[in-house]
Amino acid sequence: MAAALEIPVDPGYRDVDRVVLRAMEPPGLAYWIWIAFCFSLVGIAAISWAHQIYTGLGVTGLRQPVMWAVYITNFVFWVGIAHSGTLISAILYLFRTRWRTAVYRAAETMTLFAVTTAGLFPLIHLGRVWFFYWLLPYPNERYLQPNFRSPLVWDAFAVSTYLTISALFLFMGLIPDVANVRERSAGWRRTLYTVLSFGWQGTDEQWRHFAMAYLLMAGLATPLVISVHSVVSWDFAMAQLPGWHSTIFAPYFVAGAIFSGVAMVITLLVPMRRLLGIEELLTPWHFDNLAKVVLLTSLVVTYSYITETFMTWYSGDPIEQMTFHMRYFGPWGWMFWMMVVCNCLIPLLLFSPRIRVNLRALWIISLFVNVGMWSERFVIIAGSLATNFNPSQWAFWHPSITEIMITVGGFAWFLGLFSLFVRFMPIISMTELKEGIVWLKQALRKGWSTP
Amino acid sequence: MSSEVEIVASFADEERCARAIEALRAARFSAIRYFAPIPSEKLAEAMHRPKSWVRALVLGGGITGVLTGIAITVGTSLEWNLDVGGKPVVSVPPFIIICFELMILFGGISAVLGFLFFARLPALETAPRYSSRFSEDRFGVVVRCDDADAARVEAILNEAGAEEVLREAA
Repeated sequence: MAAALEIPVDPGYRDVDRVVLRAMEPPGLAYWIWIAFCFSLVGIAAISWAHQIYTGLGVTGLRQPVMWAVYITNFVFWVGIAHSGTLISAILYLFRTRWRTAVYRAAETMTLFAVTTAGLFPLIHLGRVWFFYWLLPYPNERYLQPNFRSPLVWDAFAVSTYLTISALFLFMGLIPDVANVRERSAGWRRTLYTVLSFGWQGTDEQWRHFAMAYLLMAGLATPLVISVHSVVSWDFAMAQLPGWHSTIFAPYFVAGAIFSGVAMVITLLVPMRRLLGIEELLTPWHFDNLAKVVLLTSLVVTYSYITETFMTWYSGDPIEQMTFHMRYFGPWGWMFWMMVVCNCLIPLLLFSPRIRVNLRALWIISLFVNVGMWSERFVIIAGSLATNFNPSQWAFWHPSITEIMITVGGFAWFLGLFSLFVRFMPIISMTELKEGIVWLKQALRKGWSTP
Repeated sequence: MSSEVEIVASFADEERCARAIEALRAARFSAIRYFAPIPSEKLAEAMHRPKSWVRALVLGGGITGVLTGIAITVGTSLEWNLDVGGKPVVSVPPFIIICFELMILFGGISAVLGFLFFARLPALETAPRYSSRFSEDRFGVVVRCDDADAARVEAILNEAGAEEVLREAA
């Protein structure tokens, strides 16, 4: 808590503007090297994908019975990451949570780019990607339409709705802030911000309709976010496969999504706070609250693991029990136990208030959670497929270089887009932080304890 | 007939600004506008304006979404009427998911379009009396009144704690 002295206890509106605008100053060479690094990895992934499209899915490690592996794992992982952004920006908005204002823009940005990343993976997974539009209903001379009873079609609707709504929500929330930046910039930046701000001037009529539209968007995004990951979980739960066919999947996946997403918010914000110099507005008070969300959802996820195991035992179904035996002690058992350590045990450290405000420790814990949640998705998806009903079919997946490069490229794509955004857009909502500045002041005066 | 003027006052915080608006309304001045750098509930309440019509558009959008969902799921199922294992051709529970997602999608798009429409955005011209300070840290109140009432309006604004009060020709 020694760092408390560096931060003015009484920040005003001008301090908010100063800090946020300083973070948007033209970046240096190191930044562009980082962007170039990210997008060269994306380039390598694009070449790998082109190779896969040209040659066929045989270049991946996908073999019967494991036809869903790392691509679908990435899809579910990234959709899950996205969810915490909507939780923070919409659900906590409806609850009027005080610590949300400094964090939500970054979280929402993360949502948009995480869904953008997630949306690529079902396409990458398609053998003939040029027919992806067959998932959507469109008039055609053969009267062929998608099967609306299929969870994959629900998924296409849910994820594309989610992408649209989170992009609209983000850019609508940006309007008043961008108008502020517009007044204080010149050249091409001024043109860009003038266009993005729609000529906003903060008049009473503008605010009146903005407030209503924003509230309703938050109200719509809240059930949406829960529905999206429920639908994603039904991609699995609707199938008869042991290890997938379970009624707890929807709440279990939603909790896991929030858990992994908030951990990713922490992973991004800790270095970003330092690199952009926004420590004054993004205080350990905010991280303390984010850490509490991680802790809570970690406990929910742990409870789900226990319930899942109990249901398997109680069902008395030998096939289901064998699947779980293989999950714990089979060839990928190490991944399951790694997941238990990362998702259930390490987050327990967050019961300590000292660790919650120790950003270095918090960052390391958040990395473990990311690894743990990726493993969870993999264990559920590929693990259950590998050991299906018929032991003579059992086979295990081995990654190919194509799949590894595309997975790495997915992370690079996400980080590259996020890094580009944070340098050119106000990454903290100035208007909302100003509106609730009294809570920030109060937290600072109390030495960052929760008000 | 007396000429009209516009009185422009700037305030350093929302409480004083809200107090000024309340006092002006109490003195029966109704042609009041304000500029604010934050989404202030106090100012919105002080104005006593009706609730935004955006909500009606969102309701309409949501209903349109549900109807579209019903139309495409039921319609396409009936168009290619295929009995799969005796399951109903119009299977309601899975179709609800599509209707739900389209309700959110259409409702959300209507919210944004409704906001842009009612707030008259994109605004190509600057609103009269706008100053860039009103996007930063100052609240502005603009009152249109008769020349004869100008002194009274200025007194109310000054009493409420305005930092600066200017009289401009309307």
